[in-house]
Amino acid sequence: MRISYNWLKQYIDLKLSPEELEDKLTFAGIEVEGVEKTGELQKQIIISKVTACEKMPDSDHLSICQVFDGTETFQVVCGAPNVREGLVIAFAHIGTVLGDFKIKKAKLRGHQSSGMICSEKELELSDNHDGIIELPADAPIGTNIATYLELDDTVYEVEITPNRPDLLGMIGVARDLSALFNLPLHLSEPVLPKTQDSIENYLTLNVLEPEKCTRYTARLIKDVKIEESPKWLKNYLTAIGLRPINNVVDITNYVMMEWGHPLHAFDYDKLEGKEIVVRNAKADESIDALSGESYKLDPDDLVIADGKKTGALAGVVGTVGHSITDETKTIVLEAACFQYATIRKTSYRHKVFTDSSYRFERGLSAETCEIVSKRACELICELTGGTLVDGSLDQCSVELGGWEVGLRPARVKKLLTIDLDNSTLINYMQNLGLKFLRESDETLYFLIPSYRGDLTREIDLIEEIIRLHGYNNVAEKSRPQHIMNSELFDYRRKIQDLLVSAGFYDTVTLSFANPTDFDKLKLPEEHELRKAVRLINPQGTDSAILRTNLLTDQIKVAVYNLKHGTSDIKTFEINKVYQNLENEYSENYQLTGLMTGKMVEKHWKENNQEVDFYDLKGVCEELIEALKIKKLSFIPCTEPYFVPNMSLSVSVNKTIIGSFGKLNPSVAEAFDIDIMDFKQSIFLFDFNFTQLLEKSDKKPVKYDEPLRFPLIRRDISFVISTEHTIDSIKKHIQSVNPSIIREIKLIDEYKGKGIEKGNRSLTFSLIFGSAKKTLTDNFTDNLFNKIVKLLEQQCNIKMR
Amino acid sequence: MKEDLKRILAEAKERILTTKSLPDLQNLKSSFLGKKSELSQLMMKLRELTPEERPAFGKAINDAKGVLDTLITKMYSRLKDAEINRQNKDMSVDLTMPGRSLNKGSLHPLTLVWREIEDVFISLGFEIAEGTDIEDEFHNFDALNTPQDHPSRNLADTFYVENKQLLRTHTSPVQIRTMETHEPPIRIIAPGRAYRNDKIDATHSPVFHQVEALYVDENVTFADLKDTLNQFVVKMFGPGTKSRIRPHFFPFTEPSAEIDISCVGCGGSGCRICKDSGWIEMGGAGMVDPNVFEKVGIDSEKYTGFAFGLGMDRIAMLKYNIKDIRVLFENDLRVLKQFRNENR
Repeated sequence: MRISYNWLKQYIDLKLSPEELEDKLTFAGIEVEGVEKTGELQKQIIISKVTACEKMPDSDHLSICQVFDGTETFQVVCGAPNVREGLVIAFAHIGTVLGDFKIKKAKLRGHQSSGMICSEKELELSDNHDGIIELPADAPIGTNIATYLELDDTVYEVEITPNRPDLLGMIGVARDLSALFNLPLHLSEPVLPKTQDSIENYLTLNVLEPEKCTRYTARLIKDVKIEESPKWLKNYLTAIGLRPINNVVDITNYVMMEWGHPLHAFDYDKLEGKEIVVRNAKADESIDALSGESYKLDPDDLVIADGKKTGALAGVVGTVGHSITDETKTIVLEAACFQYATIRKTSYRHKVFTDSSYRFERGLSAETCEIVSKRACELICELTGGTLVDGSLDQCSVELGGWEVGLRPARVKKLLTIDLDNSTLINYMQNLGLKFLRESDETLYFLIPSYRGDLTREIDLIEEIIRLHGYNNVAEKSRPQHIMNSELFDYRRKIQDLLVSAGFYDTVTLSFANPTDFDKLKLPEEHELRKAVRLINPQGTDSAILRTNLLTDQIKVAVYNLKHGTSDIKTFEINKVYQNLENEYSENYQLTGLMTGKMVEKHWKENNQEVDFYDLKGVCEELIEALKIKKLSFIPCTEPYFVPNMSLSVSVNKTIIGSFGKLNPSVAEAFDIDIMDFKQSIFLFDFNFTQLLEKSDKKPVKYDEPLRFPLIRRDISFVISTEHTIDSIKKHIQSVNPSIIREIKLIDEYKGKGIEKGNRSLTFSLIFGSAKKTLTDNFTDNLFNKIVKLLEQQCNIKMR
Repeated sequence: MKEDLKRILAEAKERILTTKSLPDLQNLKSSFLGKKSELSQLMMKLRELTPEERPAFGKAINDAKGVLDTLITKMYSRLKDAEINRQNKDMSVDLTMPGRSLNKGSLHPLTLVWREIEDVFISLGFEIAEGTDIEDEFHNFDALNTPQDHPSRNLADTFYVENKQLLRTHTSPVQIRTMETHEPPIRIIAPGRAYRNDKIDATHSPVFHQVEALYVDENVTFADLKDTLNQFVVKMFGPGTKSRIRPHFFPFTEPSAEIDISCVGCGGSGCRICKDSGWIEMGGAGMVDPNVFEKVGIDSEKYTGFAFGLGMDRIAMLKYNIKDIRVLFENDLRVLKQFRNENR
């Protein structure tokens, strides 16, 4: 439904701007789906005065005018017959855009014209293009016409939930807003105009289906003059998307949009037998609807008929047979209430969906018939000059008046946790139109108005209270307080699982350590790992300090297992290490692992290899990838417990977060491993787990669309001096065309027979691909040759 | 010429149907249907016929080609099926030979139990809190209502480090630290290490693992404590496991209790594990002492709470039938391998 800001202001003194109101509506449960500004065109047009006007000498219809816009005077050539000196007009300056037409400086027959005086049609106010708009003499010069004519409005497209048919009219929305902001609702009781005669002399009513038509009322207005509606009425209807038709039809639409209850008017003189019959359709009956369609009716459809012919598909659509035309003199005004299921079935059966059926199928109150009927009579008599015939026909089969619902303030508090006193509760309810009856047994009793069919239980009232009080004004009773370090929790598990799936055993060792282990690790005196927390009352020297690293424990676990006959070992631990940093104690998580012996269990089909440095590096790379750590580099490692040329440190933004390498055999020996007898290499990785988490990228992966064009693989094989590292060779290759070279993968290294000492033969597989096109052979050959040339120049390679 | 066509067709059919291999068939196809085939040559001879005869004979040649083509296609799929069947037969191997292992490792039994405890309590709405192993006396003792002269503060019981700090003797300081920094409602567990000056033996270790639980809110009752313990025990040790609490003394809870669970070895009828009592001691519990609330500035009139602490090593030992706590810290791969297929 569309809601007009200006229209709402008739009933309530809104203190909010249209923008602020948008937000409030949504949070009051009236969801705003779109907002539209009207009057944007007219806002450009300034009320101005013609200060001088003379006929153009060589023209029969053009005049040369001087137009004063409140600050400046412009010369304008105007062709309108009614332009004259002293007239207050609507003036469009140079640069104004009217539809797709922009006003420019012009010269007509040698006379300068700077602007345009507008007609109603040019301002999209009507189709009148006979002359320019003549504004009242007191219209404020310099003001824009949209403001003056109150055309600037904000229209909200809102979604009304099916339980609230009362919000399908401006008054219903205004009532909700009045309750929300605690503002008075300005509603004037419609006053029936003077009447003559008596309706019984004209018309009889016969409702044959009282269950389907719960109420039918009719009034008669004589001597109406059917014409165009006044501007204000048309403005309102246009704003909310209805097309003005004539004054009577427009009034019925206006009152429907005001009260949310549809009305229908038809021509009395077209009624045959001067009676209204509300009945089921007959077999083979059909109607020609106002829309131009015709429908073959079902015996379950309810129709409004006269003595002979069908007049309307009740509550859905009227017919041509009884319609109001320019010749209509006397009208019957129907205000009725139909059972919602009947309307819904008919509407869906014939696929006719009208503003009227939309409202009736949601269930309306029979009580409202009276007020909308009076309101429409008031307006019709005023705008058409008609006279109301005394009395009304009214057949009603339901009980009118509201019903009682009790509300326990204690229950409100229990459910909502908000503490509202009784007067606040009563005020909320009264603002919604409920009548406070009495208080007894700690319960407040209210009379529910019949238009609020959705309020039948206490819980319904409680919902209204919280809606008005504001969902956001209830404090959360916070349960998870974010005490938990979810990152540590998640990543510890993730890394444990990753290593276990890679064949590692999770170990748990105790926190104490022996200070002499530092010597065994060959740590120099000032080494960070020597800064240990000392116990005042240790159980012995082998547990005199808290451990500063997990390396020692991992080595000891390996020693234990070697002594117990297990020589293929892959272990790790994620646990705390403790340091005494200038008398401040720190506790950090460390991730340390060890591998030695066979990489995998012997399988009859494979040769199983001893773990080597590249197995270790692979595990570390996998860990770093799993934590999504970017921008890291491997740098030479100087830790004394590793073999210098067989270890690397991992650096991220110049912080070393870990290292890995082959254990120095002399360290192994210090830990009781007989290196003469034991030929296996021992490899260790050691990461600061706390820092790994810090450097890890927590953002979800953003997928890259796979290339739509084919990839091309070329292998390159050459002999090169061992002084060039794989990393540097890759960088050279990549530099040739970074956007096309997708992947550079080392697939073979060969040293030995046929290769001079100090050299090696390498084979890389290169993958080329473009995001924009299929690569031609020519292009690929060229690229490959460029790579070869560059490597020849930079690394002195020899192709094989 | 008609005779020729008839003869060619008959001969071709015969030879196609008796082909034995796919390459032979391929050769036949080119010799019967190719550009130099007899049929193609016949086509060249069409011009020798009268214009009236040409269309009919041309069609006859084309029909013959069609017939042969269909026949070759049929023969092709027949030979191919035979070939695949032969290959499949050749492939048969000794299926009893072992498959390739994925070579997975295992989580440590303590990690398994640790995870399980975390998951049970997370499902009950608890969060996981963490403290430091190195604590001060205030959080380890004073705030927990432990008298200044209480024996547990002795050097013989508690490890001290420099700066008047100590190694926490239980995970309870996490209660205090959480209540100092958070308003109720608080629902946490704090798994972690604790230290006591005990000599290592089959049931004691100077370093051990505990899990602390704390629930503070309005209307937390003794019944909630019992219910939470019961739910935990059932999820941890399986349906049918019961828990009970007995009066006891802890400085920081009032009333205080010790927690027993029905024996996981015998189910309550009595065995060696439970020393024939049917019950096994699991830890301590109770309602948070108002003095503790006062120390951390929580209104003990408005809020109540319960706390309990359980030994995680003990839970692991009971669950996996480990008789000696030292087994947990030896990390013997022959032991750890047995936990490869445990869930978590």
